Amino acid sequence: MSATAASAERWSAQRLVGYGVAAIAAVLVLYPVFYLLQAAFDVGDPQTRPPTAYGLDNFQVLLNYPRIMLNTLVVSFAATAMALVIGFVMAWILARTNVPGRRAFEQLMAVPYYLTPLLGALAWSMLGSPESGFVNQVWRALGGSDHLIDINTPYGIAWVMALFEGSVAFVMIAAVMKSMDPSLEEASQVIGASRLRTMLRVTLPLVVPGVLGAAIFVFAEMLGSFAVALVLGTPNRYYVITTAIYQLIQQYPPRIQLAAAMGTSLFAVMFLMLFVYRRIVTRGSYVTITGKAFRPRVADVGRLRYVLFGVCMLYLMVAVVLPIATLLYASVQKIAVAFPAADNFTLDNFRAAASMNAVGSALTNSLLLAFATATIGIVLMGLLAWLIYRSRLPGAGLIEYVVMFPQAVPRLVFAFGMMWAWLVFPIPIYGTIWLLLIAYLTVFLPLGVRTIAGVMLQIDKSLEECAQMCGAAWTFRLRTITVPLLAPGLIAAWLLLFIASMRELGASILLMGPHSKVITPSIVESWFGTASELTATLALIQTGVVAAAMIVLVAVTRRLGAQLVE
Amino acid sequence: MVHNQHGRITRRALLKAGAALPLVGVAAPNVLSQPLSKSPTTVLDFKTNADVAKAEQEGELVFYCHENEAGTAGIMQGFSKDFPKIKTSYVRAQTGALYSKILAERQAGRFDVDVIQLSDIAPAFDFQKKGGYERYESPESGAYKQDYLSSPNGYFFWTGVDPAGIAYNSEKVAAADAPKGWQDILNPKWKGRISCKISASGLQFVQWYMLRKLYGEGFWKDFAKLQPHAFDSRVQLFDRLAKGDDAITAIGEYPAYILFKGRNAKVEFVAPPDGLVATPLVVGAVNKAPHAEAAKLFVDWAMSKRGQAWYQTNPNLYYASVRTDAPPMPTGVSLTRFKLLYPSDWDEYARESAAFLKEWNGMLGL
Repeated sequence: MSATAASAERWSAQRLVGYGVAAIAAVLVLYPVFYLLQAAFDVGDPQTRPPTAYGLDNFQVLLNYPRIMLNTLVVSFAATAMALVIGFVMAWILARTNVPGRRAFEQLMAVPYYLTPLLGALAWSMLGSPESGFVNQVWRALGGSDHLIDINTPYGIAWVMALFEGSVAFVMIAAVMKSMDPSLEEASQVIGASRLRTMLRVTLPLVVPGVLGAAIFVFAEMLGSFAVALVLGTPNRYYVITTAIYQLIQQYPPRIQLAAAMGTSLFAVMFLMLFVYRRIVTRGSYVTITGKAFRPRVADVGRLRYVLFGVCMLYLMVAVVLPIATLLYASVQKIAVAFPAADNFTLDNFRAAASMNAVGSALTNSLLLAFATATIGIVLMGLLAWLIYRSRLPGAGLIEYVVMFPQAVPRLVFAFGMMWAWLVFPIPIYGTIWLLLIAYLTVFLPLGVRTIAGVMLQIDKSLEECAQMCGAAWTFRLRTITVPLLAPGLIAAWLLLFIASMRELGASILLMGPHSKVITPSIVESWFGTASELTATLALIQTGVVAAAMIVLVAVTRRLGAQLVE
Repeated sequence: MVHNQHGRITRRALLKAGAALPLVGVAAPNVLSQPLSKSPTTVLDFKTNADVAKAEQEGELVFYCHENEAGTAGIMQGFSKDFPKIKTSYVRAQTGALYSKILAERQAGRFDVDVIQLSDIAPAFDFQKKGGYERYESPESGAYKQDYLSSPNGYFFWTGVDPAGIAYNSEKVAAADAPKGWQDILNPKWKGRISCKISASGLQFVQWYMLRKLYGEGFWKDFAKLQPHAFDSRVQLFDRLAKGDDAITAIGEYPAYILFKGRNAKVEFVAPPDGLVATPLVVGAVNKAPHAEAAKLFVDWAMSKRGQAWYQTNPNLYYASVRTDAPPMPTGVSLTRFKLLYPSDWDEYARESAAFLKEWNGMLGL
């Protein structure tokens, strides 16, 4: 290919697509961000839009809330640390060792993520509340005094957040580990390093982009975590930013401006972290997928595999079995208590759930939206990841900061920006399911891009460059080299997006229209308004439907992935 | 000729009579704002000025409601049962968020809502001032005292009240030790064992306002020392009470008491001699509604004995009806048996909003 032709190709296909997706991302993100910032600086009549006066008063008021800021940081750091440790250990066990039942465990690892944080919190609240928690009831029945565990403490909250919001760390780190050439670890062991030393000195450094990406993402998730802090924090008067924001926007008159200032102040925290992340990943080389052929293999860890099996079982027990069993037990009781009583058993909760038409249509809408978000999202976010890390187009780095905006602010607040933005948009999508699709594609940009980027950073650019030198067009290179190599990451991202959409809460609450209801807010509403027993029932139904969908999807995506790799 | 079946003077009756000009002078600003319509018709067992055929032709009703999901769905279910040709849909959120949403929509020129129900009268006044309600004087309004109707009549009405006293867990608190009156909740023995609602609650605002008037400003300062746990909904308060997480709740709503008593929960209700605090749930048709006749029909249905019976007996609502001919509540107790405490001057109440939010949020560490 001549230099002119190559240059023309770069201009025609790459630039067109690159700047096209950049423009889409910019519109999706910056359009609502503009309205959000407008609200944060609005010091006029809160009920009048557009604002009548601007100032910094809302940010000055933030200084009155040092306790809430501190609470947020304590819980977020603790939960991120727990989630990363759990995620890394589980990813290493399941991606790099021959632990028995590896494949089954891998599938089960996704379960806490789609159990939704509300349900995790609800289950653990039933288990670990100081007075009514099942564990503590049993403890007292056995002669213990007071309580054995208290889930309403900051570390209890962090624990539940790590289990149910932090399980994404496992998926992100495991995707990276799966794409790693095992010969590096083998070489380490051949020269005498122990398994632990190999894990810490070879595996860990190689998955640094994945771990860092996961750390930033998980930390942002924790900053924006709402349901767990609401269920477990408020009984103990322990407020974090999101629960404080929730109170501020629910009251009359709502203090949306202050909530917007609180939310947008998190931009600063987030971008500082992103800046550090970029400095680290751009300085080092984390390429593990090169032109050299390899097949992902797992290490034989001998008898240690049974210990690791025990670790996996323990994790699944606290994150899946115990919560689901608790919810199941609660769902057949009038008032959930630890010890069964004949007159307390009922099937009314299932009858009530079955008669809730809104839940039926909401479940269907959620499934449709999740499928559409994951499918469109994977293309959009895959191209964005390529644009940021591979394209070398001017300004590509800036796009990464743009796509991280939605992660930096709680979705509860970001939803206000989206509402104002899409209300005045000339095409009437407000109040329809299309608005939710746009909202999901916007708020999950960071999730998709981070997941795909973690894998993309491991692919040696020379593979694409080699094909380019051989005359392959950009689209051909993308189709035959980049996408097949990215396949595991893309599939992981698709499933993540699907699950994340199914459980979305913060943005949906405000953007749902009368004809576009989705399931998770309906369940939260049930928790607020009906009873924890009916909520447990709805949660189980949602989990069952999502589990069925996941089984089908995993089978399909695995087949698709195999075809792509071939 | 100038009186309807409830003995109230109506515009239609006046115009029909073609006389009584001195009276028109008084009623003119209110009366002339409404278009002429035919005499009320009877549908099922209630009267309406809506064109039922047209409402069914519109085929839809969009309802914005503060009530929880099950309660909102329940209201729509009741209306749909009586008018199956009108498809219902709804959006629900807490009053503050819901009101912000409808204002933002209207400011952007979107008018998708037919009827709105709010749990706080302050935003209802504001909405009326902003011209958000469609003025529609229901032929059923004669069954309501003027206190329970907007001023002037036709913008909104009280579709029910939510009365609250004190409730306690009978396994954790002996009847003899339970509070008997409002001031008993300030006993230091309840520290860390008492609950209340968050500042988003209209009822909590009414309680703060009324008890401060009765017992002075120090009442809530003493209450704050008890470090109460605060929650969104009555169900959450009773859920915790039933399970013993809290020993008493300072704001035990009667509808939730009925609901949990029905589940055999060990909860008891105390009606303080000074009265139960009560907040109205207000319903009104929205102007520029896409389904205007359906909106009118809904208002009439909700005001009617039929609609009120539905509101009063649905387990997710259990609102106490303020109709003059309302039957007793599901417990067999009539609302008239209780003394109700609610502001006599709603304007003054609305002006206290900022003070309430500051004190309440401050008490909860917000």
